[in-house]
Amino acid sequence: MNGPEADSKAATQVAQPTAGEQGRKRTRFEDAIAVLALAVLVLLTLINVVVRYLTDQSFAETEEISIFLMVVLTMAGAAAAASRDRHMRIEYFLDTGSAARRRLLSLLSAYGTSAFFVFMTVLLGRFAWDEYHFGETTMALGLPRWWYSVWLPVLSAGIAWRSFTMARRVARGEQP
Amino acid sequence: MIGALLFVVFAVLLLAGVPIGVALGLGGAVAIALSNGDTQWWGLMAVPQNFHASVAKYPLLALPMFVLVGSIFDRSGVAQRMVTFAIAVVGRSPGTLPLVAILVAMVLGGISGSGPANAAAVGGVMIAAMSRAGYPPAFSASVIGAAAATDILIPPSIAFIIYSVAMPGASVPALFAAGMIPGVLAGIALIVPAVWLSRRHRMGASEAQMPRPPFWLSLRGALWGLAAPVLILGGMRAGWFTPTEAAVVAVVYGLFVGMVVHRTIGVRDLYDIFVDAAETSAVIMLVLGLAGIFAYAVSTLGIADPVVAFVTHLGMGSTATLILLFVVMTILGMFLDGVSIFLVFLPLLYPLMLHFKWDPVWFGVLLTMKIAIGQFTPPMAVNLMVACRLANVRMEETVPWVGWLLVSFIVAALLVLFFPELALWLPRSMGY
Repeated sequence: MNGPEADSKAATQVAQPTAGEQGRKRTRFEDAIAVLALAVLVLLTLINVVVRYLTDQSFAETEEISIFLMVVLTMAGAAAAASRDRHMRIEYFLDTGSAARRRLLSLLSAYGTSAFFVFMTVLLGRFAWDEYHFGETTMALGLPRWWYSVWLPVLSAGIAWRSFTMARRVARGEQP
Repeated sequence: MIGALLFVVFAVLLLAGVPIGVALGLGGAVAIALSNGDTQWWGLMAVPQNFHASVAKYPLLALPMFVLVGSIFDRSGVAQRMVTFAIAVVGRSPGTLPLVAILVAMVLGGISGSGPANAAAVGGVMIAAMSRAGYPPAFSASVIGAAAATDILIPPSIAFIIYSVAMPGASVPALFAAGMIPGVLAGIALIVPAVWLSRRHRMGASEAQMPRPPFWLSLRGALWGLAAPVLILGGMRAGWFTPTEAAVVAVVYGLFVGMVVHRTIGVRDLYDIFVDAAETSAVIMLVLGLAGIFAYAVSTLGIADPVVAFVTHLGMGSTATLILLFVVMTILGMFLDGVSIFLVFLPLLYPLMLHFKWDPVWFGVLLTMKIAIGQFTPPMAVNLMVACRLANVRMEETVPWVGWLLVSFIVAALLVLFFPELALWLPRSMGY
């Protein structure tokens, strides 16, 4: 199993306190987006608690912004995780067998992941287009839905790109 | 036919080492496309819709928040002070350090919601201390890996948040309350073999000569950390905050303690903590979103029905079926992480739960206990992996120790299976 919670590659190394220095520089951009989304989520929720206790007003319309930020956090973080090869997966068969088989499987997995997110990009693009086309608006704030959904294909393309560059590094025999 | 294909595609991709989320999403998309050949875009618009709907859920916000709480408290320096205080309370004699490690992991379980974060926090402090006292590192790693598994039972818990989002009829507060007694039970179940093993193998012999920290001084040091679970759990119980809000309050409190009181977190560390938490949350939530596609395919294709019919026609009673499930899922848990097991199997387990009239909250606690067991069962043991990394031992070396802890933990889980009131009494008496 790979992933931030179970990094078996690092299991043999000594303590690795942060998310891995090697991939940090490469993923500055999406890390910054994910961190910003997380920080704003904390602040929005906090403001909601404070406002609810100080005044009798509800500030709950911001819920839809929080939900949007959660999606951004997920997809931007997933792009960073793709670049650092930290998505959860079963590594048992990747770690056994001949070197040629291991290489084949990890290339298949890396390019396959990239192709899957290209596919998701197309579908999410259509999803956003539909929301634009039908002019739907959100329940709480009355904003056009596509203002939110237009970012989904962009973020998905980011995951596809990061998976692709990771796959290329695997192909070249570099450390992912 | 398409149903079988769905699982075959998923299983082949998974075994080939493709990320779990991708295996789920692709398996689901293939099944959807094959069964909607005549509709526009082969019905594939259900893919982005279900992906988006599975992540864009307000109650899910508690997940990244509690992940962040875990990252903050991991580095806030409260673990060290709690250990000192616990030693001051229980004293210095052979076998007390493992006891201290388990107790501190349980108290931290009342702050953080994830096992690996707990293992990192406790292991970072305890492994060196236990080595100095003469405990073998493999034993220390086993105790800490197992003790951290109580974290997802003792509220707050990320596993319960995910279960609640995926399972109708089980609210987060009810699950949190239901996990309390089983979590403490599991902790006690670990203390017994841990202390017995250290006495039997005469480990920690030099511990008795070590100084005992002064009680009042160490209490003062530990107070900030000890107040955190009171704030989080008490705040939720008193109705001050929802689980999400409690997590945010804990974030602020943890940052205050780490940056101002104990001064273990600098402004520069802050960004790293957020990157860490963002990545951990993203990895879990991506699987969650893509599993939504898989779950949609499972439910619209009616795949669950024949499976449920097969199991119910085995003619086993409710308890026997539960034990069978327990065995199957423990084996799966050795290779697949708990969150993925929840998400892959809940669409199948839900109709089974309805058929046998299992209480959804109790069932959630049982499944979570099973996941907790998986967190320290080699070879795919997330908590044990963290503890082994900190102790610088290979996971194989823990096998002679961890087996005893496993057996004891399983006994605790069986108690909850045979006496559902252990889980259900507290949420009922609290009125959830």
